[in-house]
Amino acid sequence: MVHQYKNNGYNIVLDVCSGSVHVVDDLVYDMVEMYESKTKDEIAVEIKNKYKDLYSNEDILDAYSDIEELKAAGQLFTEDVYKDVVIDFKKRKTVVKALCLHIAHDCNLACQYCFADEGSYNGHPRELMSYEVGKKALDFLIENSGNRVNLEVDFFGGEPLMNFDVVKKLVEYGRSREKEAGKNFRFTLTTNGVLLNDEIIDFCNKEISNVVLSLDGRKEIHDLMRPTRNGKGSYDVIIDKFKNFVEKRGDKSYYVRGTFTRNNLDFTEDFKHMVDLGFKEISIEPVVSPDDCPYAIREEDVEAICKEYDKLALDIIERHKAGKPITFFHYMLDLNGGPCVYKRLSGCGSGTEYLAVTPQGELYPCHQFVGIDGFKLGDVYNGIEKTELVEEFKLCNVYAKDKCKDCFARFYCSGGCAANAYQFHGSILDAYDIGCKLQQKRVECAIMIKAALADLEEGE
Amino acid sequence: MKRIKTLTNNTLKNTVVKGGCGECQTSCQSACKTSCTVGNQSCENK
Repeated sequence: MVHQYKNNGYNIVLDVCSGSVHVVDDLVYDMVEMYESKTKDEIAVEIKNKYKDLYSNEDILDAYSDIEELKAAGQLFTEDVYKDVVIDFKKRKTVVKALCLHIAHDCNLACQYCFADEGSYNGHPRELMSYEVGKKALDFLIENSGNRVNLEVDFFGGEPLMNFDVVKKLVEYGRSREKEAGKNFRFTLTTNGVLLNDEIIDFCNKEISNVVLSLDGRKEIHDLMRPTRNGKGSYDVIIDKFKNFVEKRGDKSYYVRGTFTRNNLDFTEDFKHMVDLGFKEISIEPVVSPDDCPYAIREEDVEAICKEYDKLALDIIERHKAGKPITFFHYMLDLNGGPCVYKRLSGCGSGTEYLAVTPQGELYPCHQFVGIDGFKLGDVYNGIEKTELVEEFKLCNVYAKDKCKDCFARFYCSGGCAANAYQFHGSILDAYDIGCKLQQKRVECAIMIKAALADLEEGE
Repeated sequence: MKRIKTLTNNTLKNTVVKGGCGECQTSCQSACKTSCTVGNQSCENK
């Protein structure tokens, strides 16, 4: 399967199933497009008709033989040969390798788009996780992680810093068990910043391998969707704290992460604002909300968002040229390394290797399923009880989803978010269509950026 | 190939043999939490 497109003056040919990427001229681009449906002679006639005398017969023959050479080398028109191995892989006994610890089902902000209902998660009482429940969760993770060495624990909420003492104690407990259990904990934390202070920042910079700092961008955009509980904007409360945090963080990983809505389809301006504030690791994601929300992304917004992604891509290239590169989460792409096909095709791991834990110790397939009827899997005391649901999640991979079959982006999104699919279609084996279109566009932009940076390296 | 610049000829097929160790980061533990992106993650088993 080949996906080809033009962007920013580049003709890009992606051989989907091998992952090979070629930048080609107009002649090859057109010939690749016709290669599977026309004979060599028919292609030559079409090219002559379209380009008149621009290309000689020799040019056309040379281009054709180059295409055949790439095909023979397994870099063009390769077939998807992974279905059986991925399905077998998914049948293997899974281990739990990551937990999303809902350390606080409460929040000191009242963000309008919050999928967690400001911490209450579909009607759960506002509460904090006790140390005992957290400890039991870490024990559960160690016991169910098999031979997996790296274990991930995300402190999530609500706002996890509302329960910072428990965060601190759980990190200490996790560290105390690493050696005897032969495990390595990677703690991460997502915060709105309101409660940050130097003590917390220093702790996080020592112990937390990645922090996610929620900032939507420009003050008016941020304040519109992220008010405090008394209705005031939170930008002024958090911005200096985030700057201080990142300044002190050194080389450790972080993301300043925003959500864009239909209120700011010009989110490149928010990206620029974040860069101007000194942030270098940035993620800005589309809001996922029901169509009837006034700020929800609608089908009719997709075209404008795609144009905005192009604009953002150009901005990122310019910053590279200026020697001041910025990382944008969704444009990161490692063309020569990156994940194996199993990772790429076997789904996000929700409900199997990744679970969410509520303050009461209940287990859910992921943070987005918390509180939804029928999705409780068990608890940290008794383990997984609803094994039939785990089996359903186990089968969740790109080959189980009709919408993924002909999609070039399936090697980059692993079939998309199960929770989004459920929210929009009532099935984890479906896909959230707007999310798919935006993901496809982001992959195209990310590859185009690689083409531009390759030119830059060559000094063109 | 004067008309084709190959940015990567890395074939995913090779990862069938050595892949699947599962040590890599879970996709939602990175920065998103609302979508699923795996193409930008790194392999821990190089």
